[in-house]
Parts: sequence; C-alpha cells; structure tokens
Amino acid sequence: MSRYAVVGKPLPRVDAREKVTGAARYTADVRLPGMLRGKILRSPVPHARIVRIDTSRAERLRGVHAIVTGRDTAGLRVAFVDTPRYPADEPPFALDRVRYIGDEVAAVAAVDDATAEEALALIHVEYEPLPAVFTAADALRPGAPLIHEFEYPGKTIWEDWGARGRPEGEPVPRADNVAARTFVEFGDLTAGFERAHHVRDDRFDVAPVAHAPIEPHAAVAWFDADGRLNMHVASMGIFYKRFVLSKALGLPISQVRIHKSYVGGAFGGKIDVFPYELGAALLAKKAGRPVLMELSRAESLTTTRMDFHAAVRVKTGVDRDGAITAQDIQVTVDTGAYRGTGPVVVFLCYSYNIPVYRVPALRYEGLAVYTNNPVKGPKRGHGAPFIRFAVDSHMDMLAEDLGIDMVELMRRNARDRGEVMPTSGDTLRSCGLKDCIEAAARDGGWAVKRRTADWSATGRYQRGVGISACSMFSGSPYYPFASAAVMKLHDDGGATLFAGTVEMGQGSETTLSQIAAEELGVPLDDIRIVSGDTELTPIEFGSFLSGGAFVTGKAVRLAAADAKRQLLAMAARLLEAGVDDLEARDKRVHVKGLPHRSLGYAEIIAESVKRAGGDPIIGKGHVKSVPDAGLHPSLSTARGRWTEAYGFAAQLAEVEVDTWTGKVRVLRLVTYHDCGFPLNPQIVEGQIEGCVSMALGQTLQERVDLREGQVFNPDFLAYRLPITHDTPDMVSGMIHSDEPHGPFGAKEVGEGAVSGVMAAVANAVHDAAGVRITSLPITPAKVLSALRRRTTEDMGGLERAPHAPQRSDAPRHSRGAPRPRDSFTGSEASS
Amino acid sequence: MKRLIQLTVNGQTRDVPVQPTRTLLDVVRDDLGLTGAKRGCDLGACGACTMLLDGRPVNACLVLAVEAEGAEIVTIEGIAAGGRLDPIQQAFVEHGAVQCGFCTPGLVLATKALLEATPEPCDTAMREALSGNLCRCTGYVKVFDAIRAAARRLREERTCPVTPS
Repeated sequence: MSRYAVVGKPLPRVDAREKVTGAARYTADVRLPGMLRGKILRSPVPHARIVRIDTSRAERLRGVHAIVTGRDTAGLRVAFVDTPRYPADEPPFALDRVRYIGDEVAAVAAVDDATAEEALALIHVEYEPLPAVFTAADALRPGAPLIHEFEYPGKTIWEDWGARGRPEGEPVPRADNVAARTFVEFGDLTAGFERAHHVRDDRFDVAPVAHAPIEPHAAVAWFDADGRLNMHVASMGIFYKRFVLSKALGLPISQVRIHKSYVGGAFGGKIDVFPYELGAALLAKKAGRPVLMELSRAESLTTTRMDFHAAVRVKTGVDRDGAITAQDIQVTVDTGAYRGTGPVVVFLCYSYNIPVYRVPALRYEGLAVYTNNPVKGPKRGHGAPFIRFAVDSHMDMLAEDLGIDMVELMRRNARDRGEVMPTSGDTLRSCGLKDCIEAAARDGGWAVKRRTADWSATGRYQRGVGISACSMFSGSPYYPFASAAVMKLHDDGGATLFAGTVEMGQGSETTLSQIAAEELGVPLDDIRIVSGDTELTPIEFGSFLSGGAFVTGKAVRLAAADAKRQLLAMAARLLEAGVDDLEARDKRVHVKGLPHRSLGYAEIIAESVKRAGGDPIIGKGHVKSVPDAGLHPSLSTARGRWTEAYGFAAQLAEVEVDTWTGKVRVLRLVTYHDCGFPLNPQIVEGQIEGCVSMALGQTLQERVDLREGQVFNPDFLAYRLPITHDTPDMVSGMIHSDEPHGPFGAKEVGEGAVSGVMAAVANAVHDAAGVRITSLPITPAKVLSALRRRTTEDMGGLERAPHAPQRSDAPRHSRGAPRPRDSFTGSEASS
Repeated sequence: MKRLIQLTVNGQTRDVPVQPTRTLLDVVRDDLGLTGAKRGCDLGACGACTMLLDGRPVNACLVLAVEAEGAEIVTIEGIAAGGRLDPIQQAFVEHGAVQCGFCTPGLVLATKALLEATPEPCDTAMREALSGNLCRCTGYVKVFDAIRAAARRLREERTCPVTPS
C-alpha cells in the first residue's frame, strides 16, 4: 500500500472538466470591449536592406487605429539569451535590415482582421536585396556574407541579477557568422584513443522540425486606466515573460501583469518573448484600446522558432570489453537569422549527453551558426533528440563491430547513482538509468526479438528491435531562479493554493494541487488552485528546462507544510497538548492515543481567526531551482552547477520495414522513465506517450521543408503531424528512484522520453533490414535507397554506391563475418 | 453586404447578420461568443474547430456561416446537458485523454458523431473517425482508452438505462 493518500494516485486532472466542456479560456478566446485585431507585416525576402518604409496609405485607411514599425523600437534588441558574451541581437521590428523570410517589419491594429490585412498591403517597403546563406556550412566559409555585422554589447537584462555586463560602447564589428560556441575538454583524449581497442567515427544529420502545438500563437494586450500593461500570452512561464516584456518596454516589472490563459500546447516554442507580443503591447498603447494578435498557422510554424538543423560527428574509442576510453563530439547547428537558443542548445548537447555514459576523456565542440533561415529555439528535449540519436546510433554500430550485444554495451557504460558530472559538479543523487535499460529490454522482448537471422531473407516485411537511452535536467538556474507558493486556508477546512504555474497540458495544476493536498492532509477536492497570473501568485520558475514539478512542487510542499505547522500549533493550544503529541488525518487533528480529543480543520481555523488575532492561516514556501548555483554558470564552458536532478529514460522500438517500399512502421514502443516518483501516474504516462508520439513524428515523417530560406510546408496538410493511424502500441513504464531533493521523490518527466526514440528506431531499422540510416527523418526514400545499395553489395559489391562507407578491418565478432552495412550520409569505421 | 441569417446552435435559434464570406467558425466564435471550437489551422487539417452539423462532424473553418442556415449546429458547449457531462466527456476526464485541451472539443465531438453512427467501433474505425483531429500532446493513446470506455458506458446505458437522479 502506498505511503501517500493523494500523491502517487492516477487522479483525474483538475482542469479536465473545463477543457471537455469548452469553458477553458485560451488567449485567442479573450474578448474585451473595443478590442482591435493586430496583424504583422513580414519580410518576403531572406536578406535585405530596408531602404524605405511608407505607412502613410495604411494610416489613412478607415478602421486602422495604430501602426508600429522599427522606428518605435529603434535601438531595442530582445533575445532569450542576453548575456555579456552573447548580447541580445534581435530587433523586435526591423529598422534597416531584414534577415529571414518572416522577419517582422511592421504591425497594424484595426477594427477587424480584414481591415488589418488590407492595411498591411498598403504599407510600402522598399528592399535592397543582400546576399544570403542558407546552410551552416556555407555561413562558416571565409567570405560568407555577414548576417550580423555588429555585436551590440552593453547592459543585459541579467544585470539586475548581478551578472556583469560589458561596458556600453560602440558596436563591435563581427568577423564571422558563429553565433555561439561551447567547448569542453577533460581527461587525456590522445591517450584514451591510443589505448582503445577499436575506434569509430560517424556523422549524423537531423532535419529541422516544428513544435506545432495545436494552439497557434496569440497575445492580448491592454493598458488600464493607471497606465499599467495587462496581457494574456501563450507562455510557459509568466514571470519570465513579464520580466522580458517589462525590460523591453521600459516599464517597471510591477506595472506589467500577465493574466491567466490556458495554453494549448507549447513544447518549448512559447518560452521566448516574441515581436508579436511586443507589437500587441505597443499597438494597444498607441491605439488606447485592447489588441488581440492571433498568428496564422503559417506564421506560427515559421516565425515563432523551430527546432535546429543539426550535424553531429561522434568519434569514440572503446576497449575490448566495450568500455568507452575517449570520445570526440562535434555538433554544428544552424540557428537561423538570430541567435535564438543557439548558445543554449550547443551547451545542452553536451549536458544532456554526459549523464548517460561514463566517458573518461572527452572533447566536445558545439557551434551555433547564423544563416538566413527562420530562427531556432528550444523544442522538447532541446538538443537531446539529436545528440542522443547520434551517440546511440553510433553505439549500436560499435556494438556490432565488437560483437557485443547493444544492451550489454549500454550496461557496461551507463552511469550509476552517486556519480558526479564533469564540469558542472552535478551529482546523480538518484539514477535509475540501468533499471530503465533492463526494464525496456525485458518488456520489449530484446532477447527474443533481436534479429539473429541473416538479412538476405527474402520476405517483404522485416522486423527488428533497437534501443537507446537519454537523460534530462529537472530545472536549471534561469530567471526567475526560484519558485514560491502561498497556501490560504479557509474556515471550512479547504484551501486555496496560489502558484504561478502555467497549465499548458503538462498537468501542473493537478500535480501541484496533489502535493498541496497530500502535505496538508486533505482530499484533492478541497484544494482550489489559482495559477497563471503574475498579480495573484508569487514568482514561479516556469514549465521549461523540465523544472515545473521539481522546483515549484517543492515550493508548494513547503507552503502547505507551513500552513499545516500553523494549524497544528493552533490545535495544540486548543487541545492543550504538545505539537509533537498531535497527528493530523482526514482533516482532523487528534491527540495521539486519545481519539476523542480531536478537532476538525474547520474548527481550528475558525478558532485561529477568533483567538489568534484574526489569523486565517496562510502558509508560504519558496525554493531556488538550483540552490548552490553561482550567478555565472557558463554556456560556453559548461562550468557551474546546472541542475539538482537528472531524469533518465530507456526506449525500445520494434519496427517492421517494408523492403519493397522502404516504409518503416513502428509496431511497439517501450519506454521506461526514471521520474523519481510519479506524482500522478496517469499524467506521467500521458507525458511519456506524448513524448513518444512527437519523437516518432520527428523520426519518421516530420521535416520543415526549407529551401533558400523559404518554408515550403507551412501548414498541417504539408507538414504532417502524427495522426491516430500512426500511433503504435506503447508501453510507458516508470522507474521509482526516489530523488532525495525532489518533492516526494519526483523529478523530470515531461521531456526526457522524446530523445531515445530516434536511435531506438534507427537501430531497429538496422536490426530489421541491415541498413543504417544516419539522418532524420528516416523516410521510405532513404531506406529504399540504402536497401538497394546493400543489395548491390550483396551481389558481389561490383557496383559500389558512391556514398557507401569506407570500411577498414573491423574486428570480427561472434555473429560471423562482418555484414554489409550501409549508411545514408556516409560514415567511416576504423580500428 | 451583410445578410441576416438564422443559425440554430445548441438548440437555440439566433438571427445573425453576417458577411457571406465569413466562416461558421468565425461567426460562432466572434458573433455568438462560443469560443469552445478552436482555430488551429484554417485549412480543415487539424479538426480543432469541429462542430456537428445535423449530427455530422465538420470543420467549421471550411463551412461558410450562410451554408449552415437551417442546420442543427452542435458545439462543445451544447453537449453537457444541464451541467451533467456527456458520457464521452466523462470518459475523457477519467482516462487522462485531456492534456492542453485545445484539440479536446474537436475530439469529443468527433467521438460523439462516431459513437452515434457506430456504437461499437472496431479499432480501425475508431482511428479512422478521429484521423482528422490532430492532437500534439497525448499521442492518442489515452484518447483511445477514453473512447473505448465511453462506448462501454453508452452500451450499458442503452441496455440498463439509469434514471438521472
């Protein structure tokens, strides 16, 4: 039997009723008297100088109330990363230059959508085209056109928090298109490779994908009679949004209020403060009326960040038993026209990879490169999907070279509890990685389904299994660095929890309410939660970097404990007993061993109001996301404490490859996630299933079709999300590792399970059909082409395909002679 | 030029002046103030705006308001009779089929149409009926659980009807 009455139970979500009845209000559902509609004029060209913007005809159009251009935001630059090393680089509205197709040029507020659209058409912009680059490789070539000619150092938004900015001065000329670089080196790399029994060097490529929440981006803004800005936004953390909005608009933080909206999915894509949000606020100010800015699906897909295009090279040395001796990793991402989260993702590709396998010597280099493509940002996993795809595909190839079973290879290299991460000093106080691997292998039928037959079997459909593992932070030091919560008791014994979380589907309102109910000792129904409003709730970390439940959950638990402590103190007075002699159960406080001496919570609270000078009992709790993090953890060296706890997962895919068409069908996807402790198993399962579905989309079908900076599939007919028919059987299991620093032992669960799917599927495709696909997505065309090349090789290897791998003498292994192996983008093996 | 049309939504008939070019989705959301149907793609590709038109699920972003005149229109706001959740809604709540909730109104209505036409759908029929409704959060697994549970409950209600208390 569970130790707990409320947490750990699969209770229905507290927001579900509102959502199934259509009562739940999202930002685009907000209707205010006199509300105008806002629209954005965007650049139709990838790179150009703006010669002239003429808004005069639009201004004269009847029904137009306000127009905003770069003149209104001159000198302002806003960015998710705004540090002394990487000062903000994105003007909300272009003043003299546009850098990608979709770059914001102007915004209009009008009485309705049609009038606003008409006004956009009447704005005349004269562009003088500039040379553009569309791949990271081209952008890095000497002589490539500079996408940003200057860096603008000066005060960063972090200065309020003690981070020292570079002195404000003249713009600094830039020499290249490198937007950010992370470099990490430890151990003796040369010696590690020298003592290796076997070394492989492989390259992988991951196409950009879209977040594609079903809710398009939207914002509502209005100024109240006292000149305070009020907004509804599609966010993942209202305090971060409020902070950046207030800095960008030059308003005191307390003069900006974010009101509650439900958020219709975010997946990383709604963290940033976007030009359309600043535009809504500026238009509302100019027009003196509320403005609703609702982006179209195409705008949402192309101008509100997307995932990175990444190229990964992994070189690993292993000893005879498969233990890693040295690893050399290079990640290059196209970060688009502005930095976006380029500096973060090249850091995270190191940080989300390092907790999985023990690596005694490592060199890691991550480069984020400017191009004239749409801007990239965090998407669920934020780098983990591509680094884990690369490393675990590579490990599967190593396993085959060595003749060691992949699960055994993982087992030999996987980290254990108690290990300390290099560079950060983060300690794995809980680590269920090996348990995840064992459980996934067991439930996925690894031992029996792993293919042992020869690939030359003639059947059309070939089945196989593959496995991979991954890890993820549970919160990180980022604004506002902490969460607080308040718990207010009512004189009927119920309670209201005030927590700033944004409910975007992750179930935070429910899990936080469960934590509060458990700690206070009341049923879930007795907790009412007020969330998502910066005025009504204390600061909250936000639901990103997978810190929502971990950080805010602890603050909520402390707030409930504080309320309960006060409740018991009052009960002790009333019952004339010591606090230590009391126990609370079922909303009553008893003197231990004397069940007749008891009082109900309602009576105690009522007495507290009467006797204790009117104290209705209000509890308060607060916690830092990473208590001993300094103010200067470094993205470029990965030094500094980064998180309190890592979540882990292992995932096994069983696939069927149609060797006639190249189509890969995933039959079953088994996930075991070490989430510490599932606060609500139904919600945890839902998070895993959602991760798996999204990850399968990226693995098999999703790709933002970018050509010369233009997105060719900016809608849901051409950009195909997984549908009902694409859903495989899923097993979504949880490993309890009881994280000592987590609320009731809980840690990350919402992101981790996106990142093991890619390599699991790629490895399963190789197991099934003998072809190695090293680029995502794994399309039928790639599989078919690889199968054809393999067949050619099987027939004597006379017509070696031009991209076939250069093989040297890989060690022979127990499964017989080395089999023909193939690779889509080319890979090398060397001993 | 605006035209005055009569729309019957959730059993109530209203006179609405509309531009003939406006969609049913726009008119229901903006003029009738029923925002339960969501705008997800404006292309009939996501199903978030699903409404029932004479019992048939349609993408309201692809229907002109003037075309819906004379039809019985049901939106998500119209299926919880007297504040009592429809068994489908109840099943979505209980089985964790709701996450962000943006696609939920469409999924619930598509399920309602499915179960009214096919009370005991096989797995393939269920997937087919919901193939026009995108959900980015759930991976559909718990949506399927909810639909199966709702079908069971509706079957029980048909075979042994319970008088509402």
